[in-house]
Amino acid sequence: MSNNGEILQRLAQGVRDMEEDLVLESAKKALESNIPALKAINEGLVVGMNEAGRLYEEEEYFVPELLLCSDAMYAGMDILTPHLERTDDQNKYRAVIGVIEGDTHDIGKNLVKLMLEVAGFQVYDLGRDVPLANFVTGVKDHDAHLLCLSTLMSTTMDGMAEVISLLENDNLREKVTVLVGGGPISKAFADHIGADGYANNANGAVRVAQQLLNKKEVALR
Amino acid sequence: MSTITKRVIQALNGDKVDRPPFICPGGMLNMVTTELMKKTDIYWPDAHMDEKSLAKLAIEVHKLTGIENLGVPFCMTVEAEAMGARVYMGTTDTEPRVIEYPLTQIIEWPKLQAIRQDRGRIGLVGDAVTRLSVSNIDAPVIANIIGPISLATSLIEPMIFFRALGKQPQQAHAFLSFLTDNLISYGRTLLQAGAQILTISDPSGTGDILGPRRFADFALPYINRILEELEGEYQACIVHICGGLHTILNEINQLKAQGISIDSNTSITAIHAALDNKVVVGNVSTHLLQNGDPDRVKAASLSCLRNGAAVLSPACGISTSTPVANLQAMAAAVSEYLPQG
Repeated sequence: MSNNGEILQRLAQGVRDMEEDLVLESAKKALESNIPALKAINEGLVVGMNEAGRLYEEEEYFVPELLLCSDAMYAGMDILTPHLERTDDQNKYRAVIGVIEGDTHDIGKNLVKLMLEVAGFQVYDLGRDVPLANFVTGVKDHDAHLLCLSTLMSTTMDGMAEVISLLENDNLREKVTVLVGGGPISKAFADHIGADGYANNANGAVRVAQQLLNKKEVALR
Repeated sequence: MSTITKRVIQALNGDKVDRPPFICPGGMLNMVTTELMKKTDIYWPDAHMDEKSLAKLAIEVHKLTGIENLGVPFCMTVEAEAMGARVYMGTTDTEPRVIEYPLTQIIEWPKLQAIRQDRGRIGLVGDAVTRLSVSNIDAPVIANIIGPISLATSLIEPMIFFRALGKQPQQAHAFLSFLTDNLISYGRTLLQAGAQILTISDPSGTGDILGPRRFADFALPYINRILEELEGEYQACIVHICGGLHTILNEINQLKAQGISIDSNTSITAIHAALDNKVVVGNVSTHLLQNGDPDRVKAASLSCLRNGAAVLSPACGISTSTPVANLQAMAAAVSEYLPQG
């Protein structure tokens, strides 16, 4: 048993320390030792990625480190996911994410996407420079619980308010929780345009999203 | 040298001036609004592609708002376009942006074309600078270039580039060094065309993104090389760093620029206390400029100055929907401000 614990620990450590080789080796060992793939992912890879996220929030890690950690995590996922038993994806929260039209800066968006996936969200990425109406279509098509809007440029901030009014026009505003973020965005701006939440980093975004969605679920019950 | 020009240059060099100047450099630090385009009847995106329009718009912006400089271009895509990136010129309200990178892997960088007069809009921006410098207007001409990390991430997908800093540091350095050579040559073109001030904006090369160690390794030395090689060719220089600066205060102190322009999420008081011998340029919130009224903008401007900004400017590029009255309020603030002591 302690051997299995050690394998899980190595998976986590490999992700946290950006050591892809250690992750690959440990993922194979996990399968050989009959650790269920889901357990290896959740108690190994995801633990490591959450530690990386914590280090990022504490400003020990920055964007390059977080990307290398995620590479190590996905390398492990590639080995483990074919061995997953079919899971019921119906229970997952669905999120649509993208960068507002006029802006091609997507570093922040990619980090939020990554951490949402780690937290178990099903994420639909619309990419960057996304025409505003496509966010509404995305929410409809994927029956999304969460919409994340990002922009780095002050010239494209207004697009966020526009998306919110488009959602209102289509009677979708109540249905979907809207989170905004990016360089020039602040809590005050988020409140001003009527977004549900704001976060200034990727980990924070996941936390705020979970809080808002849980609150909504409780209210609906 | 006449009054306004002299004041801006002296203030940026840390010399004593009668009152602080108000600037808005241009480039990434956009100063053009829809209202200004209507008043001058010169519109984006066409203006980006014509030297006469670039110069005329820069002059009219200065006249109509009280911004105490002239500056071109109005985007941050000129360098990348000249090196092979595909650029969409944007609309009346949105800036030009890169839509296709010439590189897919960092090792391909030697295939990039060098910046030359006849490539993309390089010559055109140089001609606009010449027009501004012979216009006889009492306001310094600012040449805006982007920093090496921002140029790199305009030529290759940023995620690939940032990974390479960890996985292929040698290649990343070779790539950045090549880009730096090109930025020096472009900067020199604009300075020789008559620009007096050089502004380097590096929105992708921030402490928030890179962290202190990689900022020191991959951003600082290249920005400093540009500043050192062009020293003597500019009369003042500014480096604009986006995002929070608290993780890279040591590195900012090592920048060979006296003028440090800061974003709104950095407190002027904190930065003023932490930096030695730097001139803080900043940092009125662009959100306030867009949505506030002139009284609030003026109050915020005065508070920036009291807290240690020696040169007043917006914290970042302003939104095209910013009212001209709010820019005029910034101009009013500097003319009323009484320096303490």
